[in-house]
Amino acid sequence: MFMKKKKTGTPLEASEKVMIVISYIIMSILALCAILPILHVLSKSFSSASAVTSGSVLFWPVDIQFETMKYVLKETTFLHSLKNTIIVTVLGTIISMVVTITTAYPLSKPSFKGRKVFIMLYIISMVFFGGIIPAYMVVRTLGIIDTFAALILPFFIVHFNMFIVKNYFEGLPESIEESAKIDGASDTRILISIVCPMSTPVLATVAMLYAVNYWNNYFHAVMYTNSTEMQTLQLFTYNTISNTQTIVERLVAGNYSNVSIDGIVSAVVVLSLIPIVALYPLVQRYMVQGITIGSVKG
Amino acid sequence: MKKIFVLFLAVLMIVSSLAACGQSSNSTSSNTSTAGTATGAKALDGEKPELKYLGYNVSFDPNTDGMAKIYEEKTGYKVKYNVLPAENADEKLLMEVASGADYDVIQVSVSQFQTLLSQGALKPLSDLLNQHGQDVLKGVNEDSWKACSGPDGKIYGIPYKYPYPTEVTTFMVARMDLMKAAGINELPKTIDEFYNTLVTLKKFYGDKYIIFTGPFRAASEASVNWDIPQSITSAFGIYNDWMVDENGKVYYMTEHKNFSKMIEFMQKLSNEGLIDRDWAVNNTTTVNEKLSAGKAIIAASNRVGVAVTTPIMTGKDGLGLKNEDLGYIGALAGSDGTCKYMKTEAINQVTCILKSSKNAEHVIKWINIKQQNQLYLNIGVEGTHFTYDTDGSIKPINPIFAEERGNSYWYLNSTNEEEFAKQWPSRVRKSDAMWAAFDAVTNKANKETPNIFVDNTFAFMPSLENYSKYNQSLFKATSDFTLQLIGGTKKIGDLKTFQSDWTNSGGEKIRTEMQNWYNEFYGKK
Repeated sequence: MFMKKKKTGTPLEASEKVMIVISYIIMSILALCAILPILHVLSKSFSSASAVTSGSVLFWPVDIQFETMKYVLKETTFLHSLKNTIIVTVLGTIISMVVTITTAYPLSKPSFKGRKVFIMLYIISMVFFGGIIPAYMVVRTLGIIDTFAALILPFFIVHFNMFIVKNYFEGLPESIEESAKIDGASDTRILISIVCPMSTPVLATVAMLYAVNYWNNYFHAVMYTNSTEMQTLQLFTYNTISNTQTIVERLVAGNYSNVSIDGIVSAVVVLSLIPIVALYPLVQRYMVQGITIGSVKG
Repeated sequence: MKKIFVLFLAVLMIVSSLAACGQSSNSTSSNTSTAGTATGAKALDGEKPELKYLGYNVSFDPNTDGMAKIYEEKTGYKVKYNVLPAENADEKLLMEVASGADYDVIQVSVSQFQTLLSQGALKPLSDLLNQHGQDVLKGVNEDSWKACSGPDGKIYGIPYKYPYPTEVTTFMVARMDLMKAAGINELPKTIDEFYNTLVTLKKFYGDKYIIFTGPFRAASEASVNWDIPQSITSAFGIYNDWMVDENGKVYYMTEHKNFSKMIEFMQKLSNEGLIDRDWAVNNTTTVNEKLSAGKAIIAASNRVGVAVTTPIMTGKDGLGLKNEDLGYIGALAGSDGTCKYMKTEAINQVTCILKSSKNAEHVIKWINIKQQNQLYLNIGVEGTHFTYDTDGSIKPINPIFAEERGNSYWYLNSTNEEEFAKQWPSRVRKSDAMWAAFDAVTNKANKETPNIFVDNTFAFMPSLENYSKYNQSLFKATSDFTLQLIGGTKKIGDLKTFQSDWTNSGGEKIRTEMQNWYNEFYGKK
């Protein structure tokens, strides 16, 4: 199928065919390398304790059971952690987008007095980070330790994202804004009704970058939260993997005879993958754009 | 422009309200003041404050677990529990304390305690314990208090000691059904009997089974992962990485007179195909797999290991074995009768109070009430959660015991050590698999050979600078060297070179440090 004739009609040369075959083989191996571990973990999470512990599960569940999933969903704080992560991701992305747009817009206007100073300040704080302890002390002094705000505030604005948006705004034709001004539109109206709709591709990409940032955020959750109530999904996953002895004690205490530690760890990994896997096809386009958007002309 | 500014302000307001709506109800205090509590007696008859607690990482939510309510009902104190992260716990703790954490009470590891003590972050507890914690004072032994005292002689922490000093923590599980089929009806007790058992099994089964699999590299209370099971090292008189000879001289395990003999023994097992070919790369999971899949006849294990493997081996979906088909081999004796197994009496956790705590008196009172109700809180009510066995030991009633007292261990701060040593084995009984191994190995050793247990000389040693810096890497280097010796890539003649490298890699520095501590702690010259 892949060895069609070239569009020009000339048949593929033998060396080209070999290269294509080799490429397909390499790509297939790489794809398998990515898929097989997921299949293994997925199989383990649905296999019986005896099959998992005795190492007989490979890429297909053995003695299928759903107790492990039930255990993770019912006996652990998985759902609560998922809820926390969703709140942080949704709320954080919205706030970050508002802040990023409202920062990038004035900075994209050459007429904005002190523009260079502000840009310089952003660049300085982008290059030089104050350090973990000062950052922690700022969060602590604000009184937001162990709150959602502590997980959102540090990512409030990612300089790089802001500059991407600013650069994009700068590339928009000035004449459209001018005509809107003549019609009596305010700056806010122009931003909301003209600039933002015209910038959908960059805004979607940046929103996705923010969302991924918030979703994957582990470090801030470790540093700025203490209670299990505020535990995010990433933190929950790590804690589950590193607390297997406690899990054994809990399995012994409960009525989960068909559940194994490895099965639980696998189930947690699988469950935490589901939201990302479900969303990925929808945001894939922006993910690709996100990789190349840094090259947008400044 | 003005409108954009207004919009920006609006966003800031959203953030402020977000901060205010957060979970932390006690976010006002970033106070680093040390004058939180006045010294001297203070009336505690008024309203009991909510205590803010920080403990080690755990996989359940200590605030919503049933135990939180039971503790609250019994003590009258409402407690907000927080946990340190599983990773970077030290950094997080120090950062919190440095920036004025407002916890009333924290439970930390011994090394974390030493760090906080050296930084002057802790409140002395001697006076408070005298006033509000008489039960706590009486319940903990002198050595434990000494380990939690500062250079000024005052107590700065309340120790929680590993509850059962004479436990054989690691052992071997044997398939008695396969052993009997090969004509072996008795479990080996000495190293020679053990060797003969392996040889007989090899002759009988050939390569059909892995005769002996291990090591069981799992985090344990002993904090080290031995590449040679402790059931075997016991026969050579080696019971810890660091030991003290009869003259009070601190020495390392590779310097033990029997170290070479022990290596030769393991080499012999390896050369004759009696141990698992994957010995060097096995871990807890693979050893459990080989045992529960019926591939191995004897396997190194521990209490948690059998809780995983036994239900599978005896289950109908597994090997379908009977309980009596499993045997447990404890500490083996040497050819000369030598058998040494180290007591598990290290301090697991230390509870301390930061200088900034405003409720120090209440904390001590709370811990004291908990200790007064130790039996109820940890084991439960007689007739409901447990009964007394004919020999006076406590037998839990499952599943209610496991359900209602299963997680009580996390809430412990202090115990009446003597009483708790009697109560604690009942907690092992919540699992039949764990109890079967505990009874066959630990209880048996305590009844028949109690003299095998050697004091853990360094149980109360604080975190020493060079020890913290070098010991882990030295232990790893020793483990690698041991595996190379067993595998035959190194020869016992290389021990001299290893010893020289060991000395240059911090070994000698640790020895000096430990020797000084030993002399001082035990009052030796």
